[in-house]
Amino acid sequence: MAETENDPASLLQYFRRYGTLTCFMLLLLGFWLLLPDTFMTGRNIFNVTQQMSMLAVVAFAMTIVMAMGDFDLSVGSMASLAGIVAAVVFRETGLVPLGIGLALLAGLIGGVLNGFLVSYVGILPFVATLGTLTVFSGAAFLASGGKTIFGADIPEAFGVFARGGIPLWQSGEITVILPNLTIIAVLTLAIVWFVLEKMVFGRHLYAMGGNAEAARLAGIPVKRLRLMAYAAAGLGAALAGLMYASRVASANPTQGSGLMLDAIAAVFLGMTISRNGEPRVLNTLIGVLLLGVLSNGLTQLSVDSYVRDIIVGVIIIAAVAASSLDKINRN
Amino acid sequence: MKRRNIVGALAAVAMMAASHAAAAADKIAVITPYLAQPGTQFYVEAFQAKAKDFGWEVNVVDTKGDVAAAIARIEDAANQKVSAIVINVDPSQVAAGLEAAKAAGVPVFGMDAGATPLLVTNVTSNGYSMAADTAAYVTNRIGGKGNVVMFVFDAFPPVQQRGVIADTIFKNNPGIKVLDRVTPDVQDGGIADSRAKMEAILSANPEKGAISAVWAAWDQPALGALQAIEAAGRTGEGIVITGIDANPQAREAIGKGGNFEASMAQDFKGIGATVADAVKRHLSGEKIKQGVIYVPTKLITSANVNE
Repeated sequence: MAETENDPASLLQYFRRYGTLTCFMLLLLGFWLLLPDTFMTGRNIFNVTQQMSMLAVVAFAMTIVMAMGDFDLSVGSMASLAGIVAAVVFRETGLVPLGIGLALLAGLIGGVLNGFLVSYVGILPFVATLGTLTVFSGAAFLASGGKTIFGADIPEAFGVFARGGIPLWQSGEITVILPNLTIIAVLTLAIVWFVLEKMVFGRHLYAMGGNAEAARLAGIPVKRLRLMAYAAAGLGAALAGLMYASRVASANPTQGSGLMLDAIAAVFLGMTISRNGEPRVLNTLIGVLLLGVLSNGLTQLSVDSYVRDIIVGVIIIAAVAASSLDKINRN
Repeated sequence: MKRRNIVGALAAVAMMAASHAAAAADKIAVITPYLAQPGTQFYVEAFQAKAKDFGWEVNVVDTKGDVAAAIARIEDAANQKVSAIVINVDPSQVAAGLEAAKAAGVPVFGMDAGATPLLVTNVTSNGYSMAADTAAYVTNRIGGKGNVVMFVFDAFPPVQQRGVIADTIFKNNPGIKVLDRVTPDVQDGGIADSRAKMEAILSANPEKGAISAVWAAWDQPALGALQAIEAAGRTGEGIVITGIDANPQAREAIGKGGNFEASMAQDFKGIGATVADAVKRHLSGEKIKQGVIYVPTKLITSANVNE
């Protein structure tokens, strides 16, 4: 112990492995001490999970693609597009299931398009999904006429869903509920976790992320799996877009665009916790919660909203820097 | 190793505690996705100036266009039990947050947000009176007689109410005939299509003096009509144009002293200050009866456009 204490390499290693987690724990502890009455309450915790549910679903979907070492930059505009598709269907037909079904279908088609471009045409993921980002965004503007679809065009049931949940217990005059959006996020987490950690499909994705060429030579159907991974990401993005549209009871052609960078940030934060720096969906969850807790706690402390962005950026850079320096050290 | 972490934790907590020390004053959260827009900045600055006088601790949260994040921040502020929340966002889009605030017993005020029972009150400009001022200006300038072209947009309630008032005023003057009541296509912002529509009307009414005035429910159609009149070379006929909103482009046109003679300026600072007054009244126990509080607007002509 006394020896390792002064060894900079082991300190770095510690930070690489546990820096993000330590940071998360300190944030929880700090906010709890500073906000003794309102932070660590059942209501606030469910509140945070509800607020982060949309980002969580996008980040889980992003984890699938990043497991292969790829990116999907189009998830944010796909989320916007899915919301618009649903809202336009609602406006024209008033049918909630049809709107949801077509929005998810749009996500699946968009994801397959991404996968096809990357896998079969051989375009770099960054370039291919940057292209489809623009296409999806343009389609969302085209379908909506650039306007926000809201009010009577959105069926009551769709908007009410995001406000509802399963009542759990009574806290004073307020009933604490398990929000519907949180339930969707948890189900998504369970599915993605099962697919990535328990199925051959997931193991193959990580093998491709380690070395795509070796994976191909080992007989893994690299192209087909890559297509499926992007399709799943598109579907996840569309689901998040629907959750967002339900929460704001409206659809706007740009409303999902903020999700993409936050999702990548969450996966990166999660990667800093993994043993070998690979994206694991449970670690992504910690990344998402860290971002959510930070926003919630700092708002409650009345810290300027722009300070929050700086802190988030600094944490990401510090966490990734520790990992990078550790690698240099080991070499 | 462990000791380092604990020291670090304590330092972080101490720093945050220090920034949190002054907590006795009333806390007000101002939440908007639109702080980057000039109008919103005026509201918020005026609100903050008043809040300083009242000794409030104001936290302005800008979610940079993200409406779902605005809901999240309203929920956080409600959880934190702030004294009041002020929003500048369509209440129907943040209903989830407003219900959380209601459940927590935290009052919410609208700063040009839209009316809903979930708000204590909403402070905004009076669309009816803005339309009355410009329609009366037109009537006055053309001496109560002549043909008037109206540009309206009945699909959008705040603009529809302006048209209704102008209709009434023109109807009340037997000498005035509404030549056309045009709804422009607003996909491109409203100027280009309004110009095209106005060009068609000018062609259909070629003789001098056939059109006395253009009354527009907002500035863009007024600017489009101005362009059409200029392009047709009919600026010398004395056609009077009025708009509403007094946006920079409209002010520039009014300043030149041409056909575009008048528009209405909303008092953004007045709205911000009035919200602060409303919050103050509510916090001191007064029950605010009006669901909407109107702040007076101002007629802008070449006489006061540069003020």
